[in-house]
Amino acid sequence: MWSFIARRLLASIPVYLGIILIVMAALRVSDPVNAYLGKNATKEQIELKRHAMGLDRPFAAQYVEFLGRIVTLDFGTQTRRYESWKYEGQNVGKKLAEAIGPSLSITLPELCLTTLVSITIGMLSAYYRGRWIDRWLMFLVVLGMSVSVLVFIVLGQKFGSSWLKSALGIGWFAASGYEPWLAWSKEPLWGVLPYPTRFALGTWAHYCLLPVLIYVVVAIGYDTRFYRAVMVEETTRDYITTAIAKGASKPKIMFAHMLKNALIPIITRVMITLPFLIAGSILLEYQFRIPGMGKLIIDAIKDRDFPIIQTFTAVFAGVFILSNILTDVLYALVDPRVRLS
Amino acid sequence: MRLVLLAGVLAVAWLATPTLGQQRVATIPIRTDGPKSLDPAQGSTQYDNQACSQVYETLLQWKYLVRPLALEPLLLAEMPKDRLNDDGTQTWSFRLRPGVRFQDDPCFPDGKGRVLTADDVFYSWRRLADPQYEYENWWLFDKAIVGFNDYKESQAAAVKGGAKFDYSAPIAGFKRLGDLEFEVTLTEPVYRFLYVLTQFQTSIVPREAVEKYRTEFATRAVGTGPFMVKPGDWRPGERITFTRNPNYREELYPTDLPTDPAEAARDRELGFLADAGKRLPLLDRIEVPFYVPDPPMWLDFNRGKLGLTQVPSEYQQEAFVLRSQRLKEAYAKKGITGHAILLLDFIFRGFNMNDPVVGGYDEKRKALRQAIALAYDLDEINQKFYNGTAIVYDGPIPPGLDGYPKDGQAPESYRGPDLEEARRLLALAGYPGGRDASGKQLVIDYYTSQSGNQEEQAQAEQRMVEKIGIKFNMRFVNFSELIEAINKNKAQMFSYAWGSDYPDGENNLALFYSRNKSPGSNAFNYDRPEYDRMYERIRVMKPGPERTAIYERMRDMVIEDTPYIGSLARYRYYLVQPWLRNFKPTEDFHNYYKYLNVDDSKR
Repeated sequence: MWSFIARRLLASIPVYLGIILIVMAALRVSDPVNAYLGKNATKEQIELKRHAMGLDRPFAAQYVEFLGRIVTLDFGTQTRRYESWKYEGQNVGKKLAEAIGPSLSITLPELCLTTLVSITIGMLSAYYRGRWIDRWLMFLVVLGMSVSVLVFIVLGQKFGSSWLKSALGIGWFAASGYEPWLAWSKEPLWGVLPYPTRFALGTWAHYCLLPVLIYVVVAIGYDTRFYRAVMVEETTRDYITTAIAKGASKPKIMFAHMLKNALIPIITRVMITLPFLIAGSILLEYQFRIPGMGKLIIDAIKDRDFPIIQTFTAVFAGVFILSNILTDVLYALVDPRVRLS
Repeated sequence: MRLVLLAGVLAVAWLATPTLGQQRVATIPIRTDGPKSLDPAQGSTQYDNQACSQVYETLLQWKYLVRPLALEPLLLAEMPKDRLNDDGTQTWSFRLRPGVRFQDDPCFPDGKGRVLTADDVFYSWRRLADPQYEYENWWLFDKAIVGFNDYKESQAAAVKGGAKFDYSAPIAGFKRLGDLEFEVTLTEPVYRFLYVLTQFQTSIVPREAVEKYRTEFATRAVGTGPFMVKPGDWRPGERITFTRNPNYREELYPTDLPTDPAEAARDRELGFLADAGKRLPLLDRIEVPFYVPDPPMWLDFNRGKLGLTQVPSEYQQEAFVLRSQRLKEAYAKKGITGHAILLLDFIFRGFNMNDPVVGGYDEKRKALRQAIALAYDLDEINQKFYNGTAIVYDGPIPPGLDGYPKDGQAPESYRGPDLEEARRLLALAGYPGGRDASGKQLVIDYYTSQSGNQEEQAQAEQRMVEKIGIKFNMRFVNFSELIEAINKNKAQMFSYAWGSDYPDGENNLALFYSRNKSPGSNAFNYDRPEYDRMYERIRVMKPGPERTAIYERMRDMVIEDTPYIGSLARYRYYLVQPWLRNFKPTEDFHNYYKYLNVDDSKR
């Protein structure tokens, strides 16, 4: 297994380097200096800014310098600065680290809830295939995915937040914003691992529950259809017929047999989603002003903040490649027929 | 007895605890992603201004309630005095207010903020000449102070050669007379220098903090102002919290009102004098969330969470009656007040005067630009894209300033639509029916940014000029590319705007001064020696009828030459909750948080 992982990692290096190269080159197609200095910059200012941004150096030098940062995981420290262009004085690494928490505050519950709900509905639908319960469940989930997420956001903010508060005095949901709901230990465990010391679930629910619910309503349509198709295929297998013939109960057939055998496509789907946990939900974070990775990258693109965009790309591409390798490894773990070679 | 004592202690503790909860707090939004830096030397945007102005202070400030705007000392004990020198220079004498202290911060010995001195003023201004800060705000002092430009050049050369920037090298125009007294000598008697002293970029910062925090100083504000930003209280792109500075000196709420009796009466009616004479700041904490996009801000205001809000254009008709611009009953009934303030806007479409087709000063080229201007219907643009709320006016000087024509109408103007006259002038320019002698249609490269509704506006303008036979070759570019096209003289025509840096028409007239040509603020590359001479005269004149007369001549000259089509100035609308007191909307200065108060009984 380890040699498989090593081979896959080595094979991924050219892809990874290519991604960084393409993103860095694409960013530099037009000059960002004017956008930073505004209308009345002098030539002297333009030159100084270009120098400060490192854009006066050859592209190859900029590329190699950034690869050096990736290799040494140096995205800015107290002494060796790697600062955001927009927010001077703030290291890129720190900005990304600060954004991961808010992103996970919504993406993790989104993933867990969506996966649980859609697998359950998918199994029910598959089991009752063609009957009214299947049709109704499918109608509802497809309805959710057919309406634009923006509509849910507008309705959620207007009624879930504003109307609830003004008409009924219920202030459960914030229209937007975010407050940290976890307090972390000042002294990390074993010197490296910080651990949470306080959970303010009420705060989390106030700021995060509404976007999470909106995501679930939209996403279960896609997931449920997929899981239903997987389960339907499983119901036609011989082992299900055997289980029914042996008099196994419905729940046992569904949860002990069908679910276990459908694990590979489920794992694939969940693992594909993993990198997006880090990347955040761009639209939801932006509309609900949640300072996660999604909002960070949108703002960075808008502000042409190259250090943030490049670092985000490096992190995201790395996580994507690693999660793909991990998926292959998990296949072998859940299904002994799969050989890593 | 012990029990009684214990009960007493508990009672005191119980009574004391609520005082923490009784803090006077307001939440007011910033309608963007907020400041990018808390260092005045690196700040440039309105939002940097909004953040820095609460923590740092300038030598002068604008009187809060007085209109038209008037100056008053802030860090100074009195208004500076000037004298003219024999060599044509002008010396200003300053006396700092005694006992002004920086906020407590670990950068000072024992963490105790020290007293502000003249050295801090010179140090803070010298920072603008430091290449480390990329000269972002050097324009404020450029060529203004004797020896300052030489200092900047020599230090730039030294830094290039590997030396450190020397903050103690002498500057002829800076003279320290004592801890609190100093003089500044200007290369010429420039009146706008006093306005510069109100600009937040010239705020006074302590050297200790800059040297301790280095680049992180952009995130660690240490000032003399009424509020502090504690570490971690600025979450970039998200929110900032201002906490009362306990060291703030005794500064009282003002009593001066606008000179116009009707406006003064309205201010009284709105209760702006209720806190007159009270010590500032009036609030203990101000929470400032940043809102992008707008809808959550609007919802939070309607939930009563925010003390005030700007009214985004898409909500204009929800809050105000379209025709009268009166606040709608639903809001008025809740005690919410509506305010409209006219911005110092100069929104225009510019011509590149260096361009061989649309540029130049001969009669034919002038007639071409005048013809295009006459084809434009700015009222239609106002109706379609500004809900009819903007002001259409002649000349480059926005309403409310000296040089603005009566009722916005200059004696001679080329404001359209007058298609007949436009066609006549077009023929005179050598393009009868919009075609040249060979019968080829006149096509003009028109650059505009892709942001907002700029594309729709440009399409409407295209339809207007098509009526006289001219075609625009539309170039929809991002803002950076627009600036580049203008700076490199590539844009024949462009859509642009200018917001005055300070309330004086001189700031707008400088847009046509030839020494400010691209990449400077003269995006038109307008170059008329006669105009330049007048500009150089008004720069050194104090406000008065003589100066205003020259402003008008300069205004009429550019109207005649038509290097631009314009102009428009927008109103900005605010809604204010009944529980937020003393908010008098303005966009000319931002250090007004210290005057705000809340009436929690009205929440």
